[in-house]
Amino acid sequence: MHMNLQETVPTKQPVSAEAAKHSRTQLIVFKLGKEEYGLAIDQIKEVVLTPNITRMPQTAPYIKGVANIRGNIIAILDLEEKFGISDKTIDSPVVGKYTLVVASEEYKIGILVKEVPNTLSVSKADIDETVSIVHDDKQDSNYIKGIVKVNNRLIILIDIYQIMNKQELAQSLGK
Amino acid sequence: MKDKSQMDSKELEYKELFLAEALENHEELNRLMTELEKNSSNKNAINALFRITHTLKGNASGMGFEDITKLSHTLEDLFNEIRSGKLQVDATIFNDLFKAIDTLGALINSLKTGQPVRYQGIKAKLEVIIRKATENNEVISPIAPIEQPIKTKARSGKNTLVTKATDSPSTLAPVHVQERVAPLTATTGATTATIEPGVEQKILPQESTIGNQETEKPDTEKVDAQITFSDLVQVPVKKLDNLLNLVSELTIERDRLVAMHMGKLSKNEYSRLQRISSDLQYSVMDVRLVQVGFLFNKFHRVLRDAAASENKKVSLKLEGTDTEIDRNILQIISDSLIHLIRNSVGHGIETPAERLNAGKAETGTVTLRASTDKDSVIIEIQDDGKGIDHTIIRKKAIEKGLISKEAASQLSEMDCIMYIFEPGFSSVDQVTSISGRGVGMDVVKKAIDAVGGNISLFTKVGQGTVIKLSLPSSMAVKGTLLFELDRTEYAIPLTYTEAVGCLYKKDIHKVGNGLVATHLGKTISIVFLKDLFALNDYSHHSREGVFHTSFDRVSPDEKLSIIIVSYHNRRVGLVVDKLLQQKEIIEKPLAKPVDVVKFISGVTILGNGNICLVLNITAMISYIFRISNTATQLQSLSA
Repeated sequence: MHMNLQETVPTKQPVSAEAAKHSRTQLIVFKLGKEEYGLAIDQIKEVVLTPNITRMPQTAPYIKGVANIRGNIIAILDLEEKFGISDKTIDSPVVGKYTLVVASEEYKIGILVKEVPNTLSVSKADIDETVSIVHDDKQDSNYIKGIVKVNNRLIILIDIYQIMNKQELAQSLGK
Repeated sequence: MKDKSQMDSKELEYKELFLAEALENHEELNRLMTELEKNSSNKNAINALFRITHTLKGNASGMGFEDITKLSHTLEDLFNEIRSGKLQVDATIFNDLFKAIDTLGALINSLKTGQPVRYQGIKAKLEVIIRKATENNEVISPIAPIEQPIKTKARSGKNTLVTKATDSPSTLAPVHVQERVAPLTATTGATTATIEPGVEQKILPQESTIGNQETEKPDTEKVDAQITFSDLVQVPVKKLDNLLNLVSELTIERDRLVAMHMGKLSKNEYSRLQRISSDLQYSVMDVRLVQVGFLFNKFHRVLRDAAASENKKVSLKLEGTDTEIDRNILQIISDSLIHLIRNSVGHGIETPAERLNAGKAETGTVTLRASTDKDSVIIEIQDDGKGIDHTIIRKKAIEKGLISKEAASQLSEMDCIMYIFEPGFSSVDQVTSISGRGVGMDVVKKAIDAVGGNISLFTKVGQGTVIKLSLPSSMAVKGTLLFELDRTEYAIPLTYTEAVGCLYKKDIHKVGNGLVATHLGKTISIVFLKDLFALNDYSHHSREGVFHTSFDRVSPDEKLSIIIVSYHNRRVGLVVDKLLQQKEIIEKPLAKPVDVVKFISGVTILGNGNICLVLNITAMISYIFRISNTATQLQSLSA
């Protein structure tokens, strides 16, 4: 989001860099497992109550099935299961009461969340994109874009489009 | 901002319209060229070629597509030379002309892809041909073609025109005088004597260079005089797709409402709504139908190229070109048809020498035939070539490891020939440019399967081969059988269902890794659908006896519902939880990321808003029989 910096602050470069630091970005924040996760707001189309899910054969376990959301056929994903962070101590019958519908022409996916997600405006400066995460050959961690630290909260910023990249899906289908 | 975007979308729409028309023009050019090649004195074809290049040029320049304008202009010039008889059509010209038309096609396509296309070379080549023609003409027969129009004109005796021709021949091209003779005669003048051979010769060299730019003038005059509106409207397919989607949703919504008020109101309350909405649905489907001739006409060129590169003589015969089929289906199968036609030329039709030896006509015939059969459209590709020898196929299938020797020896001739549709089968020893590229009939079969069609083949050694494609005429509506499994509803297209019935545990027997039962005296494989869907790893049957899991749990007095599905003469009885009703459904394709699921071809939304999965029987049967060892054993058992 480098919005027209040249126009608004035409003076010197350091100033525009300063402005970039202060530019803010909106996140959708939701809980997965015991941690808070965030997505750029423009990656989410809407939040709906999870409709009836029809299970789909030949898919990875974290793809819960497909659902009809306003006439669109949306694949419903359980990211807790995908990330391997399901809280198994709580035996909740509700997998995810709400579904975040991802804004994408190509992929029709929804993400299950247990609680109503919040929006959060953070300064770009609060996003640490240089985090190095313990690398695991099995779990591709490309989708983690950074860590946001605000008011003693730690939010893991993810890129849903990365999660959906083809290769990974092909693997998940066991081909 | 809004205005701008509106303008952009208008612009885009014009571009789409231009593209649609240009592609049509290009295809027509190809067809006419092949016709002209067959009979180089075909006046109609020449005239049409000239007319089409002219239209294309006009349209392109209107849109500001410089490259297309320039190349089609040159082509137009050239056809004009041919038309006026100054340029003789011979084999050498044809190669350049075909190349030029290909380049033109590439230019048109590049509007979509944005890829740069080089056309200057071929354009220059054409210009050389034109120049040569006009020069030769001057020396050998200077005035023959031009004499006539001038004379007619002279007879009509229009004063101004004659003077014009003498003073500045550039303002009016003599060629067009011919066309304009009729209106000109209306005004009669006097002087005719001024026309002399000298004048005519003066006109001649000029005419070839400027003739075509001048064409526009008289043409626009003609159009102005009488504006005609076409009875047809061109609509981008995307809009039709959208319309169909909306209608589908309307139908679903209708079913939902009807289901909701079931019992509260009498059924008649909805009968009108039912009728109107289903009429609407069929009307929209009808709009999407196009005549197969639309596609068939493209194959003149395909066949010509294939025959030329194989040094074979083949003619194409089209039948039933007015048969109608859904446009999207036609698009999906078009590549397959190209492949099949190339195959017919490459593998089917013999060389002229071989044909003569066999007592056949030197020129082979490939026939493309379309017809309607109930709800499906039948497309047949027939050749009068050498046919397919099942012994060769048998040998090949064993060599490629597609089947064991023992199993192969028990296959019937027909079953054996069907192996050409297996992946990895290619019967030509040498790879030629036309066919035998390794990918082959299996790709064709997949495409046909994808639209819910069927492929079959009839062949007789020495007499030829017929490949028969049976396709649904519309993709939208499918007759299906609904059933329940694990409290989820599924649908099976009726095309694949053979029978339904019920069995008890005692009727089913374990054979190898699978299960079998007897149906109408025949042994069929039985698969509990639950087991198939429960597999985690589809690459191989990981555990022994996976297909026995549910069977082992069934109690002896439980009635098992079976749906017998068949594909490719392979029959499987699927065990499901509960049979539901038959229903016409509108199938929606799967979007990413679940589009890779093989067993499900699409979904439909039921009246209650739930999603119902549509089974892809072809994929399931292929899977069951391909990998399971049981299948091979079974096949040899039942064969």
